[in-house]
Amino acid sequence: MTDRPSILVPLRVLEGESVPEGVPDLLANVHVVLLGYHVIPEQTAPGQAQMQFEERATARLDDYEAIFEEAGATVERRLVFTHDGQKTIDRTIHEHDCMAVLVPNATGAVDEVLVAVRGTVGIGRLARVVAGVFGTTDASITLYHVVETEETDEDVETLLDGMVDRLGELGVDESRIETRVERDRGPLDAIADTAEAFDAVVMGETDPSLVTFVFGMPADQVADRFLGPVLVVQREPASDERED
Amino acid sequence: MAEQSVDVEPAGQNLAGEAPASEPEGVTDETTVHDDDVELERTIGLVGGLAIGIGTMIGAGIFVFPGLAASNAGLAATLSFAIGGLIALLVALPTSELATAMPRSGGGYYFISRGMGTAYGSIVGLGLWLGLMFASAFYLVGLGHYASAVFAELGVGLPFSPVIGIGLLFGAALTALSIAGTENTAAIQNVVVGILLVTLTGFLSYGVLDAFGVFGRSSVPGQFFSRGYFPVLTTAALVFTSYLGFAQVATVAGEIKQPGRNLPLAMVGSVLIVTVFYVVTIFVATSAFGADRLGQFGETAMVEVARDFLGLPGAVAILGAGLLATFSSANASILSASRAVYALSRDALLPRRASEVNLRYGTPHVALLAAGGPILALVVTGQVELLAEVASFLHLIMYGLMCVALIVLRRRDPEWYEPSYRIPGYPVLPGIGALASFGLIVFMQPASIAIGIVIMVVSYLWYRYYAGDVTLKGDI
Repeated sequence: MTDRPSILVPLRVLEGESVPEGVPDLLANVHVVLLGYHVIPEQTAPGQAQMQFEERATARLDDYEAIFEEAGATVERRLVFTHDGQKTIDRTIHEHDCMAVLVPNATGAVDEVLVAVRGTVGIGRLARVVAGVFGTTDASITLYHVVETEETDEDVETLLDGMVDRLGELGVDESRIETRVERDRGPLDAIADTAEAFDAVVMGETDPSLVTFVFGMPADQVADRFLGPVLVVQREPASDERED
Repeated sequence: MAEQSVDVEPAGQNLAGEAPASEPEGVTDETTVHDDDVELERTIGLVGGLAIGIGTMIGAGIFVFPGLAASNAGLAATLSFAIGGLIALLVALPTSELATAMPRSGGGYYFISRGMGTAYGSIVGLGLWLGLMFASAFYLVGLGHYASAVFAELGVGLPFSPVIGIGLLFGAALTALSIAGTENTAAIQNVVVGILLVTLTGFLSYGVLDAFGVFGRSSVPGQFFSRGYFPVLTTAALVFTSYLGFAQVATVAGEIKQPGRNLPLAMVGSVLIVTVFYVVTIFVATSAFGADRLGQFGETAMVEVARDFLGLPGAVAILGAGLLATFSSANASILSASRAVYALSRDALLPRRASEVNLRYGTPHVALLAAGGPILALVVTGQVELLAEVASFLHLIMYGLMCVALIVLRRRDPEWYEPSYRIPGYPVLPGIGALASFGLIVFMQPASIAIGIVIMVVSYLWYRYYAGDVTLKGDI
C-alpha cells in the first residue's frame, strides 16, 4: 500500500454513532479502516443479529464510506457482530495493521494540533501518524511533553528535537512545529487541560503493561474531557511468530 | 489464520416462502466471515467452553441423581455413571471432529442436517429444542427440591410441598432475566463453576478418605451388585441426563475462539471432568450410608451425606452448591434451547420470526419465550425421572445420528469436509458410539420412550408440512 498510515475509525453503527463533523476532513490524507460494529448480549447469537441488522448497518456504512472517500481518504471497511467490542477493536487493529485509532468526536477546521510526546518509545510511529494526517495541511503542530522527575533538561531537549527532526524528514514544514514543556504536573491532567485550546490531540497508547486496550483509561479520559477528536497511536505490534 | 471454507449451499423455501439464510464464506480462528466484509466475532475461549459444558452437566449428576440412582442400582450405580461417561466420551470425540469441520451455531443439528439431509436434521433439531426444554424442566424441579430442603433446614413447616411452585418461579424468572438482562452472564457462569468444583473437590476428598476408614469410622459395607445387573443399565439410561452438557458446547460452536483446538478440548475435557466427579460422588455417598438409606433421601440425598460427614456446615454448603448448580444448569439449557430455535429458523425450518431480536434489549425474545414457556408446563408435572429420560432420549437420538453422520461424511469424503481434528479408531469408535447411544434408549421406561417417539414423529411431520422443499445437505 502507499505510505498513508492506516487509521481505525470504530463506530457502533447501529446505536446512532455516525461519522462526526470534521472527521472526514481530518482523515482526508490517510487510509481509513472503517469498523462498524454492533455489540449484542450473550443470549443472542451473532448470526441472529446479523440476519436482522446486516442490511441496515451496511446501508449506513455505505454512506460513511462515501463521505470519507469524498474527502480524499482511501477506505477499507468491516462490519462485525460481536459480544465483546473491545476484542473486536483489538483484533481489527492487529489484522489491518492500524497505526492509530480515532476516538471519533466532532471538530471544526483543524488549525492547532496537540501532540503528546511521552518518551522515546514508539516515537517513530507517532511521527508517522502526525506527518501522515497533518503533513500536507496548514495546521500548526505543538509537541507537548510533561517532564518526569528523573528527566534532565537535556533529555527533554533531545527528545523533542529528535521528534522535530523526524517530522522534518517526513516532509513536515518545521516552521509549523512548536514545542512546549510542562513540569510538576500529572501528565494526564496536563494533557487534558492543555488540549482545551487545541482542535485535535494525538497521543500514544499509554501503559505498556496493558497489552489489549484502545480506549483504556488515559486516552479515554483525555477524550472525555477534551470532547474533540483524539488519535491514539498504537504500539508496534509484538512479533507474531508464535501464532500461525 | 487459514480460512476454512464452508461449501454448503442450502436451498428451497418453507411454507411461508422463507429461504434458509446463506452460508458464510469462511471460518477463521477469530471470526466467521460473510460476504467478505461482514464478520461474526468469536468470543468464547477454552475456559468459557469448559464452563458451559461442566456448568450444564454438574447440576444433575451430583445434586439430583445420587439418591435415585442408589435406590435403583445399589452401590453399582457407580458403574452406571461410569457407563454413562463412557458413552458420552464415545460421542464427544466424533462431535469434536464434526465441530472442527463445521464450527457453526446449532451443534448436532447443524452437523446432521448438513451431513444427512433436512429430514434427519429436522427430527434432531426440533428434538434438540424440545429435549433442552425437558432438561431445563428437570433441573428446575431439582432446584425446587433444593429450595424446599432449605425451608426444611430452617424449620419452616409448609402445609404443601413447595417444590413445583419454586421450580415455576425460577423458570419464569430465568426466562425474564434472559430476555431483559444484558449483564455479563458468562463471567458469572465461570465463577459459579469454579466455586462448585472447589467445594466438591474438598467435600469429596474428605469423603474418599472417610470411605477408606482414615477417620476411624467403619463405612457401611455394601454388596456391589445388590440389585442385580440389569438395574445398572436402566440406571445408566436414567442418569444419562447428567451428560448432556457437552453437546451444548457445540451449540455455541460459532462463537468459540480457535475452534479447531478449543472445541475438542472443551467437549472431551468437560466429559472427563464430570465423569470423575460423578463416579467419586456416588462412591462416597453410597459408602457413607449404604444404598438403601441413601435412596430414601431422594433428590437431596447429598445434603444428608454432607451432614453425616461435616455436620450442619457441610449440609449448608451442599445445599448452597446444589442451588447454584441446578440454577446454572437450567439457565444454560434455556439459553441453548434458544440457540437451537435460532439455528432452525435460520434454516427456514421454523418461521424466521422465531429468532427475531428484541430492539430494546438486543435479545431473542421469541426464541427465549419459545423455550421458557413450555418449560413451565413441564415443571408442573414434577416428574423428575420422566423429564430426565425424555431429555436423554432426544439427545441420545442426536448423539447416535452424529456418529452416523461422521461415518457418512468420512465415507463420501466431500471436498468441504476438512476437520482439523480427526478421531482415532474410525470406523469402529463412531460405530460403537452410535450403537451405544441407541442401545441405551432400550433401557428407559416405556413412557419415556413413547413420548420421545411421538416427538420424533411430530418433528418429521412438521418438516414435511412446513419445510418439505428445503434442502440443507452439503454436496456429498
